Amino acid sequence: MGEEGTGGSVHLLCLAASSGVPLFCRSSRGGAPSRQQLPFSVIGSLNGVHMFGQNLEVQLSSARTKDTTVVWKSFHDSITLIVLSSEEGTSELKLERLLQMVFGAMVLFVGLEELTNIRNVERLKKELRASYHLIDSFLGDSELIGDLTQCVDCVIPPEGPLLQEALSGFAEAMGTGFVSLMVSGRVVSATEGWWRLGTPEAVLLPWLVGSLPPQAARDYPVYLPHGSPTVPHRLLTLTLLPGLELCLLCGPRPPLSQLGPQLLERWWQPVLDPLRACLPLGPRGLPDGFPLHKDILGLLLLHLELKRCLFTVEPLGDKEPLEKVEDDVSRAQLPRACYLVLGPGEPGTGLRLIALQLGLRLLLLLLAPQSPTHGLRSLATHTLHTLSPLL
Amino acid sequence: MARPPAHGSVVVPDWHETTEGKEYLACILRKSRRRVFGLLERPVLPPPVAIDTASYKIFVSGKSGVGKTALVAKLAGLEVPLVHHETTGIQTTVVFWPAKLQASNRVIMFRFEFWDCGESALKKFDHMLLACKENTDAFLFLFSFTDRASFEDLPGQLARIAGEAPGVVRMVIGSKFDQYMHTDVPERDLTAFRQAWQLPLLRVKSVPGRRLADGRTLDGWAGLADIAHVLNGLAEQLWHQDQVAAGLLPTSAENTPS
Repeated sequence: MGEEGTGGSVHLLCLAASSGVPLFCRSSRGGAPSRQQLPFSVIGSLNGVHMFGQNLEVQLSSARTKDTTVVWKSFHDSITLIVLSSEEGTSELKLERLLQMVFGAMVLFVGLEELTNIRNVERLKKELRASYHLIDSFLGDSELIGDLTQCVDCVIPPEGPLLQEALSGFAEAMGTGFVSLMVSGRVVSATEGWWRLGTPEAVLLPWLVGSLPPQAARDYPVYLPHGSPTVPHRLLTLTLLPGLELCLLCGPRPPLSQLGPQLLERWWQPVLDPLRACLPLGPRGLPDGFPLHKDILGLLLLHLELKRCLFTVEPLGDKEPLEKVEDDVSRAQLPRACYLVLGPGEPGTGLRLIALQLGLRLLLLLLAPQSPTHGLRSLATHTLHTLSPLL
Repeated sequence: MARPPAHGSVVVPDWHETTEGKEYLACILRKSRRRVFGLLERPVLPPPVAIDTASYKIFVSGKSGVGKTALVAKLAGLEVPLVHHETTGIQTTVVFWPAKLQASNRVIMFRFEFWDCGESALKKFDHMLLACKENTDAFLFLFSFTDRASFEDLPGQLARIAGEAPGVVRMVIGSKFDQYMHTDVPERDLTAFRQAWQLPLLRVKSVPGRRLADGRTLDGWAGLADIAHVLNGLAEQLWHQDQVAAGLLPTSAENTPS
């Protein structure tokens, strides 16, 4: 779990359902992309057993060996995705969510039409290469948790209302309802229209923008798996400050050239300081000085209706490098807690997990072992109350 | 169309290696690393120095795989992607480059905005080629020394893309020049091309950039030294073209061969 040498591997296979032709194979080991390929015979067997079942009207969905979990998923009778994971503590649910994200990523780049109606396999393979980077980020370690929770990773900016106002005005001037500000793959602020994007694109788009190498601006065609899988939209991204991107989803207008430095300065120079204050928000998610109890090691707040989440394993802000290892432990613990609600354990025996739901909000806290048992409930309730106005 | 200026006649060629040049270059570096500027930022020179900025849009064109994205990354001092996949859509990258003019000894801050787009995307989506060509100040045509077809494609590209834009600067760059042992494009073909088209032709190596002592961070100064000739070449062509367009220089009809 983040230690050197250990760390399981994950293999992802994508095949054309009818012909069994492999379209791509991605792997990760210890959380980072790996070139290790599964032997073709293994790929063939895995696909074969799935097809055998299908012919007999049996749906093969998952299997477990001593150290590996395998999950199969078919999409539109045209694409088969198979994932094998030997990572510790992996569950079928997590792998199913992964496959849904991966298929979403494929649709995002090539459109649903190309995937359900495969005319030219070689051309499709070439086009899918563009999605590798995004897919690899799902297989490996990430600071984001949206793939698991199906909620958008957010951060809370220090001057939210000010940025919101600038964003709404800008969106109206540009003639699109879909505009957002992102930092490190997390949404800082967005228009109402953007928040209403469906799953999985609401999670995929920030994840995509966070995974791309730096460019001043982009005009990418994207297919929204839920909202518009066959008709592409334009995703425009503009790097206002290094790490902070302004994103628009629109039709044929405005052209990218219209969003030049003069126009951007006019709209965004007045809020330059609040924008700068967003840059360090990534890992902590909350503005400096926001009070969190010192026993909190990790935090996951979910708004179940709005489908947004706040996730941090660095609640105290800047950490020494040594403490980063503990972050990895926390980061691995919290997602499991999504599917397990644990009460407080024995005092002093390892980390504690507490889950609390109030109305539409679910809060999961990872607490230090020395946190007194009798105070856990009130700590959690108090934290939830202070965070509720923000998400 | 005016003859392109001789290399080194408009911009002082090795100025970036002088003490004065290095002082100016420090504004685009931070602790030996190339600085990345957001669209709301620009390089800041220590007061009371104030220099003019000249902004240009440059469209990088070439067959898939010749190294357009890689070249732009090198010019910007960014990591060059290791594995090739076609660029999904339009990407723009901004590069700031201070240069000294020969004629007036003035230092100008050049702001180059490189537009780069994948070949399939250009073919599939009509608006992309239009968006790239619109109001562009220069076309950079890229071919690879290891891919003869990309060199032979140049005349077609020149006609197709730069055909209807007479006043726009056109330059050719050959990438992967370091792989000259496998070169498909011998010197005599380059000479013939130069004579036929009268276009500036530069060569760029595609070796990985040098790193600092930590083994990870790209060495900003070394990176600049590798591509200074390209940025100077671009600056010259664009500045010269601006002068011609403003009527400050004689056109080719009146020009005596230098």
